[in-house]
Amino acid sequence: MNQWIERIKDEWAQAWTVAVKDVRVYYLRPGMIMFGFLMPFFMFFSFSVQRELGAEEGVARLLALTVFFTAGAAGPFIIPTERRIGTYDRLLAAPMSLITLLLGKTAVGAFFAVSVSVIALLAGLLIFGTTIAQPWLLAAGILLGALSFSTLGLAFGSIPTTNPGDVQMPSTLLRWGLLFISGVFIPLSQMAPAARAVAYLSPLTYAQDLMNQAVLGSGLIDPWLDLAVLSMSAVVFMWPSVWLHRRARVLGR
Amino acid sequence: MNHVIEVENLTKIYGRPGAGVLAVDHLNFEVRQGEIFGFLGPNGAGKTTTQRMLTTLLEPSEGRILIHGHELAHDAYPAKRMIGLVPEESNVYTELTAWDNLMFTASLYRVPRAERAARAQELLETFGLWEKRDVKAENFSKGMRRRLSIAMAIIHKPALLFLDEPTPGLDAQSIRSIWELIRRMNAEGTTIFLSTHQIEEANQLCERVAIISHGKVAAIDTPERLKANFRRVQSVEVAFEGEMAEKSPGLESLPGVTTQAKVGDKIRLYTEDPSALLSRLIQYAESHALRVVSLNTLGPSLEDVFLEITGGQVGAVGNGSQEDKPAKRGMGGRK
Repeated sequence: MNQWIERIKDEWAQAWTVAVKDVRVYYLRPGMIMFGFLMPFFMFFSFSVQRELGAEEGVARLLALTVFFTAGAAGPFIIPTERRIGTYDRLLAAPMSLITLLLGKTAVGAFFAVSVSVIALLAGLLIFGTTIAQPWLLAAGILLGALSFSTLGLAFGSIPTTNPGDVQMPSTLLRWGLLFISGVFIPLSQMAPAARAVAYLSPLTYAQDLMNQAVLGSGLIDPWLDLAVLSMSAVVFMWPSVWLHRRARVLGR
Repeated sequence: MNHVIEVENLTKIYGRPGAGVLAVDHLNFEVRQGEIFGFLGPNGAGKTTTQRMLTTLLEPSEGRILIHGHELAHDAYPAKRMIGLVPEESNVYTELTAWDNLMFTASLYRVPRAERAARAQELLETFGLWEKRDVKAENFSKGMRRRLSIAMAIIHKPALLFLDEPTPGLDAQSIRSIWELIRRMNAEGTTIFLSTHQIEEANQLCERVAIISHGKVAAIDTPERLKANFRRVQSVEVAFEGEMAEKSPGLESLPGVTTQAKVGDKIRLYTEDPSALLSRLIQYAESHALRVVSLNTLGPSLEDVFLEITGGQVGAVGNGSQEDKPAKRGMGGRK
């Protein structure tokens, strides 16, 4: 029993070690700044300027965009980069489970998303005087959204390649696709039934709805369902990563 | 005999079985506790593939690997704790300082917190990097990165260290210092698995050598016993004064000469009977009025053995192994 407790403590510490190392090595790299920091703000201003958008509504949208883009930027950039320079082998050969490694990598994207979201939130609070209807719901939404979208990015990053461009392209395509079906720019309530049915397939829909609940105080979906879907999607998105890593071990890539 | 590594029928096929590429073909070998084991083969022979399977980075298509008795397929965790890995590329984090690279690896391998700093300092001093501990690795030379990479691989004091081509591209001084470090680690009890295509490296360091060719173990023994089995690649090396290439025609047609090779300012003549060839060479020099600057009989080098086994041409010397000199049995210059 003690042996297992020690092992779990070790694995936890190893995931933390991987995450801290990645934060130090990669957060200021141009690829991360471009896809993780600037992209959500570009998207926000592209689709929100000169439209009748209240401050609260704008902040809720910006937060959903930030969590979505920033969390998903880490995996597709970091893992192929590490595969290319050979440092990923060091991690794979270390005495820790694959899940531990993936949790560490998930944390990197999630930390990044939470940090950038806090910046976006502070801008909303201080510049636009936004009020937050349900702060705890907002915190839970940012955290779970960050974890969910970080594991989604990780799934792309796990594709066995040494070129970040190979995975950033499909990852960006998917994310843009999700962006336009998920009620970020067109509220769920204004969607046709068929479009809304498609929107319910995207985890971003639930993240946006949670932000609406937390900032505006109103949403279309039960917040508990939003939280549950984001939690479950974080787990579900982990499976392709595990499968792709096992596949890479067989293929030798 | 205690075996640190046991490999049974290890096979790797890239791609679909039947239509894929057979990279490693039913390898069988053991590595003994405390030895430096050389895994020698030409590029593409399957060395790196084998090493990647031994270090859990690649899944075998078939076969069994035991590290300290733990079967990797089912029980990799305890084996991984005992392994250190220095891959072909120096995989250091260039954005981090030497110190931070070591601290990261120490934490990853769960070196007790109280021991990390002392261990890192000891390694940085040993590897001549202490003065550069706060310098980012991006500013390091290739040799310094290599040394840091090795230091990172042994910070947890592994019982078994895998080194994949540790010295190509390094200057002679760096190569010597890395060889010295390998010997020292081995003397302190670390078993070394050295994968290399540098024949002299294997010759200098290894107690036993496996020569791998086309994914199979072609020979496995001590370097000296391997050489002893290849008496047919003995040779006589002669240097004449002046423009010998022009002035020594017909050497290759002397009785008993199997192959002739130019080695710098010397000519190496391969033969199964060096003593008979010696007298013929002296007669040849006298009949052509040539002055002999040096004349040596040479035992088979590990390079000769390697070329013989891997299907290379004996006599095609001087390719990337300037230091590989066959064992000299005699020295001297005479008329």
